Amino acid sequence: MFVLRPAELTDLPQIEAIAARSAIGITSLPPDRDRLIDKITNSRYAFADEVDIPGEESYFFVLENAATGEIVGTSGIAAAAGFHDRFYSYRNEIIVHASQELKVSNRIHALHLCHDLTGFSLLTSFYIDPGFADSDLPQLLSRARLLYVAEQRRRFADKVAAENPGVCDTDGRSPFWDAVGRRFFNMDYPQAEQLSGGRSKTFIAELMPQYPIYVPLLPAAAKLAIGQLHPDGELPFSILMDEGFEADTYVDIFDGGPTVEARVETLRTVRLQRRLTLSPNIKGAAGDETEAIDAAEAGSAVLSIIANTKSEGFRATIAPAVFGLGADGNHVNFSRETALLIDVDDGDAVRVVALDPDSHHLTGASW
Amino acid sequence: MVIVRSIRRDDLAPLMTLVGDAGVGLTTLPNNEGLLRGRIEASLATFAGTADKADEQWVFVMEDVAAARLVGICAIAGAVGLREPWYSYRVGTVVHASRELGIFTRTPTLFLSNDHTGASELCSLFLAPDYRVGRNGALLSKSRFMLMAEFRDRFAPKVIAELRGVSDSTGRSPFWESLGRHFFSMDFAEADYLTGIGKKSFVAELMPKHPLYSSFLSKEAQAVIGETHELTRPARRLLEQEGFRFEGHVDIFDAGPALESNIEDIDAIKKNTAHVVAAISTISTTALAASTAEASSALMLISNTRLSDFRVGLGRCAAAVNGVTMDADLARALDVKLGDKIRMVALRPAERTAQA
Repeated sequence: MFVLRPAELTDLPQIEAIAARSAIGITSLPPDRDRLIDKITNSRYAFADEVDIPGEESYFFVLENAATGEIVGTSGIAAAAGFHDRFYSYRNEIIVHASQELKVSNRIHALHLCHDLTGFSLLTSFYIDPGFADSDLPQLLSRARLLYVAEQRRRFADKVAAENPGVCDTDGRSPFWDAVGRRFFNMDYPQAEQLSGGRSKTFIAELMPQYPIYVPLLPAAAKLAIGQLHPDGELPFSILMDEGFEADTYVDIFDGGPTVEARVETLRTVRLQRRLTLSPNIKGAAGDETEAIDAAEAGSAVLSIIANTKSEGFRATIAPAVFGLGADGNHVNFSRETALLIDVDDGDAVRVVALDPDSHHLTGASW
Repeated sequence: MVIVRSIRRDDLAPLMTLVGDAGVGLTTLPNNEGLLRGRIEASLATFAGTADKADEQWVFVMEDVAAARLVGICAIAGAVGLREPWYSYRVGTVVHASRELGIFTRTPTLFLSNDHTGASELCSLFLAPDYRVGRNGALLSKSRFMLMAEFRDRFAPKVIAELRGVSDSTGRSPFWESLGRHFFSMDFAEADYLTGIGKKSFVAELMPKHPLYSSFLSKEAQAVIGETHELTRPARRLLEQEGFRFEGHVDIFDAGPALESNIEDIDAIKKNTAHVVAAISTISTTALAASTAEASSALMLISNTRLSDFRVGLGRCAAAVNGVTMDADLARALDVKLGDKIRMVALRPAERTAQA
């Protein structure tokens, strides 16, 4: 079984190995030990702190094979994008150049450097071991974050965004960067990023062109790269699309990759998840340690993402669950093994959403 | 003898013949009878003092007096941009620098501006190809300064001249191809014509309003920003000799340079002097110059000082304490009589004496 939990310093060697393997596009997972130590340390503080409004916290999750201790994926959330400073993106805009006199109306596509997404919570650091790409684990990795958000609403903004890698060739050359950023830096993007030495991207962004970029003036390859996703980013991107993120408005200022955004409460997982009570004993005998979903229940069980309601001790997994139990229907049951894995006891609250929420609308109280 | 004079109503027909030869690029001189007639009327009203400031147009023609032929035209717009916005790009620089990253990038930019609003503009210069010899070009171009010297209050403190930008023999402008065409699917020649018939601000409305990074344009286009068309280089040199400078404003369509000067800094105005005609000699002024100690040996721009029938010519003049002596041919051509006031300045800046 696999469990998603906050990263610990003891995970460092494994996370370092993942960072070394991950693509250039995942800038929030730098292949640099000191930065990774900072990232984990900051994350531990974030989970532990009492937070009333989103600030500089950055939450970093790892996906662990509970049987082997192997880490097979990572994901994260930054509470407020550009918290200390600004979060830059390009906003797609259409400027209509029209002249009644000349009977001409042209729609001109322009990219406006903006700070619109500053303060949004940011989904970051998505990485899954390629061997598990076709499993349900990417869903757990990406969406269990949203169960944490649903439980910890005060820690996050009302709006959430996620950057996605833009297109580049096998040498890491980005046509968008070459047409835009390179003119102001005269260096490859990875080089620019390395130079910035782990500072926030804001540092580089301030050197970027501040005036709108008229898209018709860009070379064809750069035009095509605007809002275009790197194939490596398809899996996490498709999960976000299914959640209802919008991808048309913002693009990354460096590689032109799509930056998606949504209101938290419109996200599918957030809308359809429920906060329920674990009650394995409703049908079984009190204190029965062998309690598990019985055969009849197993038939009605729904494969679900289940998370506890803790912060520092946050745990989430995928397991079959039976819903609609108890007089009020607000009780849920799942296996003892699952309960142990996510560290919950009888009577504890859990956040649950069906793995395929469109075919399994859960009943019960909303969050 | 060739002189420059204010345009008359009966100049329309010969003017039509003349501008038929001008071709692409003379935006203020379209081959369109109605518009040319309009410009003549505007000029008549301007000289008569009845035009609105915003509509003032001082139009001059060059005439070969002996051949009774109209061979050139030039004009001054009293104040541009008061009816419709006057657009130009200001060439600027944006520096992106980070000491920590060792980055220092200087990026040229183009800012859409209306900076020249209200300036007087030297415009519409065209000389028939077979008259592009000797000093005709200089006379035509500089004749305007004679009027400005005499009637300085009628003109703005800032004087500009937009020069034709680079285009090839088919009228294709690299700057337009790289910029304007993306915003306005028409050829430069067509945009240029629309501009000439008074629709420049309509065209401008379709152009990008935000500052542009020149580095996004083609190399060809970047290379012609502020550059003058080959055929217009002599005109540029003439203006530069008079103190005009390129101060970073270019045309929004072909990126040709706008040269500018404060009116009091224009050399031909600064060193312009007024005199009374004391004598009219039947001897040629060349001979006068040879025989008289005070005679001017330099070729002078000489004008009468009348708004009603303004004329400028070239000649040599013998100056004395009580006035100047002019030769009879020139006096006739300029319609100057004894006792009339005239203005003069050496044609070549190098031959001008420092004079208030």
